[in-house]
Amino acid sequence: MQREAAIREPLILGNKSYKDITDDVVGPIEGAAPRTWKILVTLTGLVAFYGVGCILYLLGTGIGVWGLNKTVGWAWDITNFVWWVGIGHAGTLISAVLLLFRQKWRMAINRSAEAMTIFAVIMAAIFPGIHMGRIWVGYWVFPLPNQFGSLWVNFNSPLLWDVFAISTYFSVSLVFWYIGLVPDFATIRDRMVKPLPKKIYGILSFGWSGRAKNWTRFEEVSLVLAGIATPLVFSVHSIVSMDFATSVIPGWHTTIFPPYFVSGAVFSGFAMVQTLLLIMRKTMKLESYIHIKHIEYMNIVIIVTGSIVGVAYLTELFISWYSGVEYESYAFINRFSGPYSWAYWIMMTCNVITPQLYWFKKLRRSLTVTFILSIVVNIGMWFERYVIIVTSLHRDYNPSSWGEFHATTIDIGIFIGTLGIFFTLFLLFARFFPVLALNELKSILKSSGENYKKIDNHHH
Amino acid sequence: MSKKVFHAMFNDEEKLMHAAEKLVHDGLRVKDVFSPFPIHGLDPIIGVKRTRLAIASFMYASGGTALALLGMWYFMIHDWPMNIGGKPSFSMIQNLPAFVPVTFEFSVLCGAHGMAITYFLRNGTLPGMPASNPDPRTTDNMFVMEITTDQNHDFSADAIEGMLKEMDLVELSIKDYE
Amino acid sequence: MMCQHCNHAPCETVCPVLATTHSNEGLNQMTYNRCIGTRYCANNCPYKVRRFNWFNYMGYDKFKNFNPSQDSLSRMVLNPDVTVRARGVMEKCSMCVQRIQTGKLDAKKAGTPVADGAVVSACSEACPTHAITFGDLNDNKSNVRGISQNNRAYHALEEVGVQPNIYYMAKVRNTEDQEA
Ligand code: SF4
Repeated sequence: MQREAAIREPLILGNKSYKDITDDVVGPIEGAAPRTWKILVTLTGLVAFYGVGCILYLLGTGIGVWGLNKTVGWAWDITNFVWWVGIGHAGTLISAVLLLFRQKWRMAINRSAEAMTIFAVIMAAIFPGIHMGRIWVGYWVFPLPNQFGSLWVNFNSPLLWDVFAISTYFSVSLVFWYIGLVPDFATIRDRMVKPLPKKIYGILSFGWSGRAKNWTRFEEVSLVLAGIATPLVFSVHSIVSMDFATSVIPGWHTTIFPPYFVSGAVFSGFAMVQTLLLIMRKTMKLESYIHIKHIEYMNIVIIVTGSIVGVAYLTELFISWYSGVEYESYAFINRFSGPYSWAYWIMMTCNVITPQLYWFKKLRRSLTVTFILSIVVNIGMWFERYVIIVTSLHRDYNPSSWGEFHATTIDIGIFIGTLGIFFTLFLLFARFFPVLALNELKSILKSSGENYKKIDNHHH
Repeated sequence: MSKKVFHAMFNDEEKLMHAAEKLVHDGLRVKDVFSPFPIHGLDPIIGVKRTRLAIASFMYASGGTALALLGMWYFMIHDWPMNIGGKPSFSMIQNLPAFVPVTFEFSVLCGAHGMAITYFLRNGTLPGMPASNPDPRTTDNMFVMEITTDQNHDFSADAIEGMLKEMDLVELSIKDYE
Repeated sequence: MMCQHCNHAPCETVCPVLATTHSNEGLNQMTYNRCIGTRYCANNCPYKVRRFNWFNYMGYDKFKNFNPSQDSLSRMVLNPDVTVRARGVMEKCSMCVQRIQTGKLDAKKAGTPVADGAVVSACSEACPTHAITFGDLNDNKSNVRGISQNNRAYHALEEVGVQPNIYYMAKVRNTEDQEA
């Protein structure tokens, strides 16, 4: 059995046994739904409902119900898309990259972070769908034989790369997540006494029996999927950034975009994980599994990626001046002093300045500070995308075609609606799915559990 | 003589591993082990071979690469070449940089899903399949070793039972099977 | 501003479904019935000349007062040679592709090459001061070719590098006056 240095903080607190881990995670699924959960799910459900209503109105009436115009052809739609995809990245990073680096602390958070990824990518996928003028012919983005004499699609278009990137990312994350869930569904199946849930979890568990050979394959598949998902997660946001980077619009046409977008994505994703987990650990009493050490680790990731983003902002600014291109410099002068400068300064404050507070150990180990900053970061990251998209478009080359964008209630309603759908999905997940990776946690109990570490220290 | 299957249940994976080591040393064959999580180091003891899923994944991914490149050559260069923004759309080599993202994504798609499907098929874990673990506790906190008389013709059922009873186990169940 | 029919049109490369491509005559063609309405082309046009059909202008009551063609009688004001664009598709100047096509067919029937000036775009025809000249740039003897080689001719936003097919003429100034 693998042992770990005593100076490392334990990852599982309290005197836990294998059985306790199962009880702590499966117990809430077996019991009746708590009141707070019911209230929350009703609230988020209503918001989701409103969002769906706004979407239906948009689909029935036309894209004109958004505040777009001939100058600004994308605004909240693509901002929301990039924001949601970015949030999704943290889940894959936790489950794949940290697996490759053998970071055991990921095991307490990877299940819920991956769930977040999947729901966030679903939310993201809504936007390219509904932003199309004719969503009913949206399937034309796939290279299918057709009545136009088999006119194919344009593989030079970054938007088409997006189609491939997002669908690959979504389906691979889903499979990765589900493969990890199968053994845990088997645990629930074997504990359930009520016939109907037992039957459902039985189907979901695919008849998993935990044979030695199955586990060997399981570990191999997890490792290879992590190996594949790592370049995938970096490629996805790079490709999203190429939507802008390959264009000719000043402020978009920037080679720095891929790395800058990827670190921004990780930054906002970890912030969203913090928001969700801080609530989850409290309401589901998971403090022994997700404790201050985990929060601190994530805050370290936030400050690293946040600083990269900050450097990228300054680099962009410098290069726009150094390039000597009038249009380019104007695009950036317009960002910080034009009609949308408020958005630029919100972005700068939330993304560059406030996360620096995490240099203080006390602050990055404080739950309240973490919770507030996690929301601040996501506000900042939303504005980053808004600044990139709207301020670059609204004033480009010809002053005669400059314009401004003003959001309508439908713009806002759809965004709020996706937040509602997202939180509803996450609440359903927390209620019916094993929120911690049971099998993985059990496998690190002996090396990183508090009680085992104590026994070990005695021996030496 | 009726065939018998022994299920020895342990409450700790290290105890099971020690027992397996001793039994295998004495010449018994362990048919399978059921556990709630992967037990590292067990496979070589009970003779589980390394899986070739990673190789399979590589082959699926290579297939994806080839298919993506072939598809894009056919769609963009061969079947209906077009002048798109003055880009060199009439030559595969010159247009290749634009095809890199899709080639990569499609390779990953094929590699990941090909492997996942193979994994589920080889495990026999598919939606609605019946579970085959001998005791529901093996997905919670118990570890079960399965030994059959079928695989151990050199030992009588009583001998196996005696050997197992010497181990540090919680429960032993013996069943007849055909 | 009108569509510059760029030879290296940035709007074309970004369309995922090939709804906007180049003709071998150098036109930037917009295929309305292939468009799915991503608006990416409009964003990527440096001249911002593309227009989107935000609503179903033919049927939405909100536009009754602005759109004369909502009933079958007044629909007759519409040009029968041009398709009415549906809701959710992009449109822009087509360089009167319907006139070019008719001109080519007429010439084909007559068995002669298209003569310079036989095809004129609607804007050029309507302009009372002949500020707009239309023709075949590839024809060495055509009127536009001559004008394009004049040293007053320039491209709008030439530095972006999209190589437009439209030329503008610089204002005629009295240089001596300026020097003085
Ligand atoms: S002017 Fe704009 S719409 Fe016209 S070809 Fe150039 S980029 Fe495309």
